Parts: sequence; C-alpha cells; structure tokens
Amino acid sequence: MRAWRREWHELTGGYALDALEPAEAAAFEHHMSRCRSCGTEARGLRETAARLGVAAAMPPPDGMQERVLAATYRTRQLPPLISPEPLRTRRRRPGIRLSLAIGAAVIAAVLAVTQVITWQHLTTARASSQAVTAVLTAPDARIGTAAGESGGTVTVIASAAKHEAIITTAGMPALSGSLVYQAWVMGQGGARSAGLLGPAPGGGTDLILARGTRPGDRIGITIEPAGGTRQPTTTPLVNMPLPT
Amino acid sequence: MAGMSTQRIRDAGAGGNPGRPDHERDLGPALAQVARGDHRAFEVVYRVLAGPVYGLVRQVLRDPAQSEEVAQEVLLEIWRTASRYDPGRGSPAAWALTIAHRRAIDRVRSEQACSRREHRTAFDASSGDEVAEAVEASLDQQRVRRCLDGLTTLQRESVTLAYYAGYSYPQVAALLGVALGTVKTRIRDGLIRMRDCMEVTW
Repeated sequence: MRAWRREWHELTGGYALDALEPAEAAAFEHHMSRCRSCGTEARGLRETAARLGVAAAMPPPDGMQERVLAATYRTRQLPPLISPEPLRTRRRRPGIRLSLAIGAAVIAAVLAVTQVITWQHLTTARASSQAVTAVLTAPDARIGTAAGESGGTVTVIASAAKHEAIITTAGMPALSGSLVYQAWVMGQGGARSAGLLGPAPGGGTDLILARGTRPGDRIGITIEPAGGTRQPTTTPLVNMPLPT
Repeated sequence: MAGMSTQRIRDAGAGGNPGRPDHERDLGPALAQVARGDHRAFEVVYRVLAGPVYGLVRQVLRDPAQSEEVAQEVLLEIWRTASRYDPGRGSPAAWALTIAHRRAIDRVRSEQACSRREHRTAFDASSGDEVAEAVEASLDQQRVRRCLDGLTTLQRESVTLAYYAGYSYPQVAALLGVALGTVKTRIRDGLIRMRDCMEVTW
C-alpha cells in the first residue's frame, strides 16, 4: 500500500510538466480527485512550471495582437460551468458523502435499467438488463461523473474486469429532432460508437452499455445528426476518463 | 540588474505573494471581466500573457511560424474559456501557460512522425539558448536560472527536457539513458526544489 502511494505521488512532477502519457494523466487526475495531498502538491508544482514558462517569455511577433483581438470579436465564449447542486447541499464527512453519492448514482442507474427493459431499442449495444446489472454489481465497479459543456452530467460506471461500462446522462439540454447525443469509447485505436442517447421517456435518464472498454479509454459525448454517425463529427461536450 | 544580489531579488518578491511577479496581480480580476465578454479587459490579459505564451510555445516548437499560429490559438482559447478559470485551482498565469504548454505538446506529438524539430534543451549553455539571446535576462529569468543551477545535473536535465523540450517521461528516460522510475523521481524532486527556491506558495 505504501509503495503504491509513493508511486502515485511521484507523478505529481511529471503531471505538472505534461510529461505523462494521456492515459496516465487521466488516471492520475482521477487519483488526485481522491488524494488531497497529491492535488496540493501538483498545484504547487504547476505554479512552479508556470514560473519556468514566464522565464521563457519572448516578444510576440508584430501584428499578433491585432489578429488575436480581432478574432475575439468573431469568437463566442463558453458559459461558466454550473456544478450540480444535489451533492453539495449537505456537508458531511467525505467518506460518507462519497458512499452516498455512489449509492444515489447506482440507484439512478438501476432505475434506468428498468427503463431499458421497455426501451431496449435505445441502446445499439442491445444491452440486456442482466448485462447492465452485472456491471453495476461487479466487485471492481467504479463510478465517475463529469459535467457537460453546455449543462447536464454524465455518469459512467465501469468494470475493468468485465471490460464494460454503463453510460448514463442527466439534465442534458434537449436537442431538436434532427440531432441526437451519441456516446463514444475513445481509445488508442480512435473513437467507436457506444450508442445513441435518445430522448428518454418522461425526461428520464438514458442508459448505454459500452462493451470492450480498456484501461485508459475515455468516454465522450457528441451531438450528431439523428441516427448517429460512424465517427464523431463534433467536439465532445464531455470527454472523461473511464473511472478506475 | 546583473549586479543585483540574491538577497535583493528575494526582497523584491517578498510582498504578499513571494514568487508571483507583480504584473500578474491584475490578471485575476481582468480574467473575470473577460469571462463577461469585456474586450478591453482582454487587452490587459493579452499584454501580460502574450509574451510568456509565445515564448513558451516557441521554446517547445522552435519553428517561428508554427509557434505564432499555436500562440494565437492559445490566446483565443483564453478568451473563449475565461469563464472556466477557477481561482481555487491555481493562478491565472499557471492556467494560461498550462493551456499553452499542452497545445504545444499536442502539436509536437501529432507531428512526431515528420518532425523537423531540433532536439535541443533550453538553458543548455552549449546549445546556445535562443531565448537567452532574444530577451535581456528579466528578473523572472534570472531567478529561474539561479534556481535551476541549484539542482543536480540529472534533475535539471529531466525538468528542462520535459518542460522546455516537451518530452514525455519515456522520451526523457531514453535521452538521458536512465530508468523511467529515476526520471519520475528526479522530475518531482527537481521541481520541489525549484518551488522552494522560487518561494512559490500555493
């Protein structure tokens, strides 16, 4: 245990200098979300790296300022991220809050499972409720959530041993009939579709079972034309590591 | 400037936020204004950050035209994502330079197969460092150099290869002919020493 901790901690420096491979960086970010001292150290080292960056300052080329300022008038800004309220309303000890959060998410996922039984066609992976339950109850199931770029949250429950992950969303902005949210498993070989997140009945949460996931893969959500596409054609609204 | 003693450099930075240069003080409020669409505030941000962003990108990419292109993208990204800057997670400069460094590295890694980049290290006296030639040593630069001098050779080489040349752990290990684990340790130890030497508080 101690050796494992030390190994993680050694990555703070490389993380601050962007020397980690993408999958390693994603895994470390996840670790940091649980390891306070790692996060504090990584932030301090990131500030240190910035000092190295400032020391490399050079006068920018002529005309760059005009070009950049002109471009700002043609560029729409991103809205601020609004953090989901429910998990923040009560202050409890972190351990309890975490288990409550996991419990709530698992309950949400189980509720979604019952929807899947009536909405089987929504999942291109043809997820059977047994398969979904198998991931939910896997001993190594891990849960991760991410906020969407334009609102809503995405929850992923993954089992490394089963190479499967459940993807659910909540509160994503409604799309016009000609567009659809599509989920992707993004790995070394590129992106492959995990299925479409069609409009759920009664505004509920949709659910997808992604198969063949591997360590280091990421989950992405894009907006695509109705019916989906073979490859993502828009920038992902969500791009999150598979929870480990 | 060159005759300024170590003690005076320390004193100069000792007010409130040691290790954080004065001109960056306005950045936080300016960024908050930028997030609300204020173009004038963005000019302030540009004035403070354009030099570091361009210099860092150029340091990694070397090619001036490519560096200008990436630096412009980064500065526009700062405009676009100003609302996502979280003061609780770091200084504005660290946020912006992280974007710059990652963009530069993305460019390097996506072009690695047909790279025309020269493999050189910053602050390596024998390679005739361009940055040092182009800019009269600023206070920031003097301080960084002094602190880099305080590292062991392996620490210094690991840190500069990773940051200024944009190499990954395995690449740094291969270049220096040491084990991966050694590089991980040296980079962390080296950066911690730099942090303490530059009195970065975060």
